[in-house]
Amino acid sequence: MVAGCLVLLAAAVVLGARAVGREPTVTLLANWTGRDETNLRRAVIEPFERAYHVHVDYQGSSAESQVLGADVEAGTPPDVVVLTGPGELADYAGQKQLQPLDGLIPREDFGTSWATPLADGHVYWFPLKADLKSIVWYPAGTGEGQRRAARDDPAQWCVGMGSGATSGWPGTDWIEDILLQQQGPRVYQSWTSGKLSWRSPEVRQAWTTWGRLMGAGTSEKLLRRTLKTGYAEASAPVTATPRGCTLEHQASFIRTQSTAWKQADGRYDPSAALIPGATAKDSWEVSGDLVALLHATPQAKRLIRYLSSPAAQRAWADAESAFSVDTRARPAATGPTWHRTLATTLLSPAATHCFDASDAMPPTVRDAFAEAVIDYLAHPARLTSLLTTLDTLRSAPGQTWLPAVCDQVP
Amino acid sequence: MSAATDPVHDGGTPATAGAGGGRRVPPERAAGSTTAHDLAVRHRLLLALAALLTLSLFLSYEGVHGDADPLRTSSAPAVLSLDTALYALGQAEADAGAATPTSDFQKQISVAAQSVAAAAGDDAGGPSAQQALQTVAALITVYAVKVQQAQQQPTGSVLREAYLSYATSILADPGSGILPRLKVLQAQRRAAVHRQTSFGPLLWCGWAATLLLALALVCALLETQLFLRRRFRRRYNRGLLGAGALLLAGLAVTLLFTVWTHTGMTDTRRLLDRPLSGRELNHAGRATAAYLADTGLRAAAAGWILIGGILVMALTETGLRRHIDEYRFRPR
Repeated sequence: MVAGCLVLLAAAVVLGARAVGREPTVTLLANWTGRDETNLRRAVIEPFERAYHVHVDYQGSSAESQVLGADVEAGTPPDVVVLTGPGELADYAGQKQLQPLDGLIPREDFGTSWATPLADGHVYWFPLKADLKSIVWYPAGTGEGQRRAARDDPAQWCVGMGSGATSGWPGTDWIEDILLQQQGPRVYQSWTSGKLSWRSPEVRQAWTTWGRLMGAGTSEKLLRRTLKTGYAEASAPVTATPRGCTLEHQASFIRTQSTAWKQADGRYDPSAALIPGATAKDSWEVSGDLVALLHATPQAKRLIRYLSSPAAQRAWADAESAFSVDTRARPAATGPTWHRTLATTLLSPAATHCFDASDAMPPTVRDAFAEAVIDYLAHPARLTSLLTTLDTLRSAPGQTWLPAVCDQVP
Repeated sequence: MSAATDPVHDGGTPATAGAGGGRRVPPERAAGSTTAHDLAVRHRLLLALAALLTLSLFLSYEGVHGDADPLRTSSAPAVLSLDTALYALGQAEADAGAATPTSDFQKQISVAAQSVAAAAGDDAGGPSAQQALQTVAALITVYAVKVQQAQQQPTGSVLREAYLSYATSILADPGSGILPRLKVLQAQRRAAVHRQTSFGPLLWCGWAATLLLALALVCALLETQLFLRRRFRRRYNRGLLGAGALLLAGLAVTLLFTVWTHTGMTDTRRLLDRPLSGRELNHAGRATAAYLADTGLRAAAAGWILIGGILVMALTETGLRRHIDEYRFRPR
């Protein structure tokens, strides 16, 4: 009797000690690292963990696509992923790797251009935050004449292509926006949907316009600066004495991420005001961090519900000084003018919002596009060859192209 | 309990059969003998001490040996794998800048990837570490691709410099690069090795309590043996002697096993406490295996502590039961 009790007691103590510390866990993969990761943990993850007693295993990497691809191949994908590319997500949805979010998120609060139903009628992602990309930043006090003059001097553009595994994306943003502003949403959507050839005159014109703005092929010093500078450090010369550059074509997030733009009290122009040959009216390239579900565990579903709630959307937008497109999480009417006008533009029903083209394209084409812009800056004479290669990739079978990326096409 | 109060102290077993075959109650019981009570007290005390000692010894033994197996099969190999990956990536970075592509770079990348896979396979650190290692494995592939893109460009070209700078940022960017991630994982694994090999205050208390309980049980067995010798005819009680012998032998073996295992664990911690590189890694792998050899076998002996404890209690019970039964029936 005593011995039996002893054995049971010992076993209970050992098992109990081993069980302590185990709690339900959900794995989350996104591209935020450094300060963004700290903000995410503080503003979003920790409140969730406290409220629901679910531990979140977060992994952040700029090589998120490659990491996710490897995880999926290994059969151990994360439960929840935050990606910038709806094209990539559509690809995973086509492979049946994503779980539908029906009943988990309030679809009507995001609008169909953000929570896009696929051909099977299901919604597989929703935006956690959004950014406006068709903007050019300049230091406060820079007159219109100075901005026009700076536009025509390649050295006055603050630009950096470096971004680790995804280096080159600032260049793809440039070319996409030039195409949108020069040709309008219809041509942009046709190209993004894989219908318009990369060798078409419209696309070619966008590349050459960018090449001229950047001074491609004119100065090795400029080329070295452009290619080797990280996108996050591109604006640093704005506050140098004498000023190293004046204008930066970059998404809205850079205003709060960059110390230089904070110091220079950065203001913005719609890129249409500075892009040569711009004809589009009130057309804006936008991007978003899109949340998708890969494992429908109870904890993962709880995290999805939480991330789609106005409280989490507002908390993340406040932490990053970013924007939510959830109609229930509108920003306060106070705050700097640049922030309020950007938020208004992002939610304006009158404006045309087109999703970042490269993010909407199949991953293979997106990655080749980013490498092509790097090659083009170094060797502008190779443009025809680069566009031919991209067109070959566009025609490759078995790729998922999104049918629409703009919320309205005139 | 004293002999002065008990007239049969030199007589051993009291007479049990009188004229007429009826059970005769020893006169001293009627006169208020304390033998039955003394036997019962000793019986309960010995069993309670044996039970407590078994539990204490089992937990203290588990406290040391329970960590030996995860250290041998998981934590120590994971530290070595991560050291190997870090060393290989350092070598690869040096080779990446070579004027022409070399097979050394591919070899080092392969070693790093295999080491990360081995660390993941060691299942150390739980799901969080597994996910982090998968991320690192994917980043190593991306790093290798960027270096290859750089090596495809002409020597001295801006494009080559640019691709190498992208590769370097993937490898070394603070917080998000491969090397900082591996260093965080390595620090976690080293902390686990420290935790597993430390002989903390709780273990000191556990082993001190175990030794005190063992001493108490040995003394109680001796005292009971002397008590039985005084009160009953037999000079030795085999059950109690067997229990004492088993107790001492078991305690000696468990102490020896614990010293051997803990010494091996301490040596392993000393070896893994600093970053290793090159040939040191080979040596450390062999030395760790040697230090921790047989720890699994010794850890498996924990189950025998429970069995041994039950045997000690059974022998004690056997030794005392006969005498207790003699005093079971009290006068009405």
